[in-house]
Amino acid sequence: MMSATSAQADSGPAISAKRGAISIRGITRIFAGSVAAVDHVDLEINAGEFFTLLGPSGCGKTTLLRMIAGFETPDKGRILISGKEMQDVPAHKRAVNTVFQSYALFPHLNVQDNIGFGLRMRGMKPADRKKRVDSIMELLQIGQFATRSAAQLSGGQRQRVALARALVNEPDVVLLDEPLSALDAKLRAELQIELLRMQKRLGMTFIFVTHDQHEALVMSDRIGVMSRGKLEQVGPVLDVYEKPRNVFVAEFLGLSNIWPITPTGEHSARAPIGEISITAPLSGDGMAMIRPEKIWIYNDSAAPKDRPNLFFGTVREAIYMGASTQYRIELAGGQSVLAIDTNNQAAERSWRPGEPVAVELKPENIMLVSP
Amino acid sequence: MSAAVKTEQEIESGRQRLRLWVTSGPGLVWIMLFLLLPSAVLLGIAFFSADDYGSPVLPLSVQPFQQVAGYSLLGWDPGNIIIVLRSLEQAGIATLVSALLSYPLVFFILSRPASIRPLLLLFIVLPSWTNQVVRTYAWMELLGPAAPVSWVAHILHAVPPDLGLAPGRFAVTTGLAYNYLPYMIVPLYASAEKLDWTLVEAGRDLYAAGLRLFWHTVFPQTLPGLLSGIIFVAIPAFGDYVVPQLLGGDKALMIGSLIANQFTETPDWPYGAALTIIMLVFTGLGLVGFRVLTRKLGGAEEATI
Amino acid sequence: MIPRGVRYALSGISWPVYALLYTPLALVAYYSFSPAPNQTGHSLYAYGQLMHDAAVFTALRRSLILALGSAATSTALGTLLGYGLCRFRARNATGVLANIPSLIIYTPIIMPSLVFGISELIFFNFVHSATGFLGAGLQTMIIAHITFQVPYVALTVYARLAGLDPYLFDAAQDLYADGIKSFLYLIIPVVQPAIIGGFLLGITLSIDDFTISFFTAGPGSVTLPIYIYSAIARKGITPEVNAIGTLMIGTIVVLALVHFFITRHRERAGQFAARGNIA
Repeated sequence: MMSATSAQADSGPAISAKRGAISIRGITRIFAGSVAAVDHVDLEINAGEFFTLLGPSGCGKTTLLRMIAGFETPDKGRILISGKEMQDVPAHKRAVNTVFQSYALFPHLNVQDNIGFGLRMRGMKPADRKKRVDSIMELLQIGQFATRSAAQLSGGQRQRVALARALVNEPDVVLLDEPLSALDAKLRAELQIELLRMQKRLGMTFIFVTHDQHEALVMSDRIGVMSRGKLEQVGPVLDVYEKPRNVFVAEFLGLSNIWPITPTGEHSARAPIGEISITAPLSGDGMAMIRPEKIWIYNDSAAPKDRPNLFFGTVREAIYMGASTQYRIELAGGQSVLAIDTNNQAAERSWRPGEPVAVELKPENIMLVSP
Repeated sequence: MSAAVKTEQEIESGRQRLRLWVTSGPGLVWIMLFLLLPSAVLLGIAFFSADDYGSPVLPLSVQPFQQVAGYSLLGWDPGNIIIVLRSLEQAGIATLVSALLSYPLVFFILSRPASIRPLLLLFIVLPSWTNQVVRTYAWMELLGPAAPVSWVAHILHAVPPDLGLAPGRFAVTTGLAYNYLPYMIVPLYASAEKLDWTLVEAGRDLYAAGLRLFWHTVFPQTLPGLLSGIIFVAIPAFGDYVVPQLLGGDKALMIGSLIANQFTETPDWPYGAALTIIMLVFTGLGLVGFRVLTRKLGGAEEATI
Repeated sequence: MIPRGVRYALSGISWPVYALLYTPLALVAYYSFSPAPNQTGHSLYAYGQLMHDAAVFTALRRSLILALGSAATSTALGTLLGYGLCRFRARNATGVLANIPSLIIYTPIIMPSLVFGISELIFFNFVHSATGFLGAGLQTMIIAHITFQVPYVALTVYARLAGLDPYLFDAAQDLYADGIKSFLYLIIPVVQPAIIGGFLLGITLSIDDFTISFFTAGPGSVTLPIYIYSAIARKGITPEVNAIGTLMIGTIVVLALVHFFITRHRERAGQFAARGNIA
């Protein structure tokens, strides 16, 4: 086992002491008799940022969140919140508040007492408490439910109360554990906007856990993609989407075409679909990835035959999705390519299954990813 | 990992264990000290000899068990075996009567509007909240020689004139069924409440109606409740003390009274303790049989802590 | 659901059974209004006799001390026990060791009360002759009554807690409540109905019991049930005995109905009405 001193001596970015900044260093949590739920995770979260932990269920994102909140104790590693070591700080003393997936509203208290619970536990005077609770209820537009019990609220209202109960304490960090997963699509979209608005307005650090890639893309400043206890990639949304580091990230976040490649030159490689040109310099075998929306589709007669990476094939599936249509195109060699074409007016036309087409994979749109 | 350094997890689970003992400890220790220890002492006494006052003394002896089997200085006597069999029979009949009455009562309650069901259930349970002695002597009055019920019995020549239905075996069985009926109804109601009526509807096509329909659709679904009910009635009825004492008389003596006598009127503690072991063996057999049956039938286990 | 014909049959069986459940109790009440000796008709004679019977009042006082004292103690012990088992027992624990608490809790419930009572009798006898403490009397009765009530209270509290969202406990911690504050401001209020229910159940069990009381009682600790039992053994069922029985039945019936309608009312009120202010 690594001793505590050597763990502290590890290198890494300087620890930010800014209010709401979080440094996670080599955090590991192993549940009795099983593999590590969280495995040596290093992560820096900036003060005031909306950070999303994205990953499939069971990847350890909730465990990581619970360690930040203090509900779980890490087996190894350190967590610093606002520059302060959290090792010996119990959950009830951390300037961190959580919005739970089930909301966990207290059944014996009405809405305003639920919201005021944290302030009451910290010993705030009833008069001051009422002021704070009233203003947060106004902000979240739940004032009219003040004296109702949690059982009488709809899902969306409960979600707002849970959020208010966390925000009213003005914590350094707000943790949100899949808070929208129980809501229907429309309400979800509304509350996504609302959450963002609150976060920007109050300037607190939000750490949001979700398995929904769309939600992660919409809301986050930066995201961290987790898989099997490890943080696969961390970065601004655009970077992670456009330049996924590995196959897992590419596949989990958005749709993708991925092929193994063997270089045949500095900018060309052999893939199962044939010889392809790639702008990025190649060095050894690897994987190549292209997003379906970055693939151009042409009528086979109108294809620009002089361009590189032009392949001919037949449409096998066309799935109409409103704003766009998703195609599966079978190439001459039998390989399939996934392509998405927007249904705007400028689009030449749409294709039907059985039609012969050509697809163009522009060399600069092909990314190299590690397996 | 060095032995001296504990992981956070070990420290945390140690804390958890401490909290467990601080909260649950007092209650568990109380039960161990004031029930498990005393009953261990009681069972231990069965292996001692009795002195002239019936108190246990050394040397260790199997004589109490010989007494239980009916052997004494005067030779063998089937009295104890008869009492055990009679206890089983009387408890068995009481259980059967409760079960037969419970089905119509449970479905009667379920056929009423949901808002008054709790009240109907309350009125089933309420008599059992009154004191054991009071509700048992009430039956002494109801079945006594002076009561109208006994006159009817005279006319039917069920009992000799001048005697009532109480004391007697009929009175004991009735008293037991009366005492423990709620213990049958409550678990049966719990399982009947969850009954899947679509199965009954589906069964209507297969089994026409009436008893066959009940037997093939309703009965299997309520069996877990019925089995719990049988345990809750049969075990305490078998070991009951108050009912046979007040309603029984000599001819309806049950094992409970026999045991109690060894600690009150004619003390012989080792003998009484040996009889207690017999009673607990039957109780244990009943419980084990119940578990095996429930498991075999795949029925839901009762909610356990 | 149930065919009409079957419904009639069910009613036809059930109403008489309900009647039969209350007939013996009603008979006790009827006989309690027996006339004074050498008179006819109905009277409150037996109740008048009771008023002057100091022994009855002493027994009543002892019964109340026994019921309230044991129920209060067992509520405290049982609440902690149910809380501890629900909250702090390792979730994934298996094997014999993990089942020991359950075994201990179920023993008093399943053990025949006669064996229970006699075990206590012998145990207290030994303890008393060895140490001079715990002589048979009200104290030993209270100890025994606590013992059989604790599991029922623990199970009631446990059931309530187990039905709660487990994240509530995290939420309280998250909102700055340490262990003690969580217990005071979350656990106690949320479990309160179960605690009250457990306390009332304890009282009911205590009042209902005769067998265990009988074997743990001493010469100076005659409670109402024991008083009735020995009165019957000595001189049969007298109008006085019926009067005591009637009062006991009446008290239980009234308490049960009051409790029933209060909890029902509160449940319904909880669904619609608002709770008090934030302060």
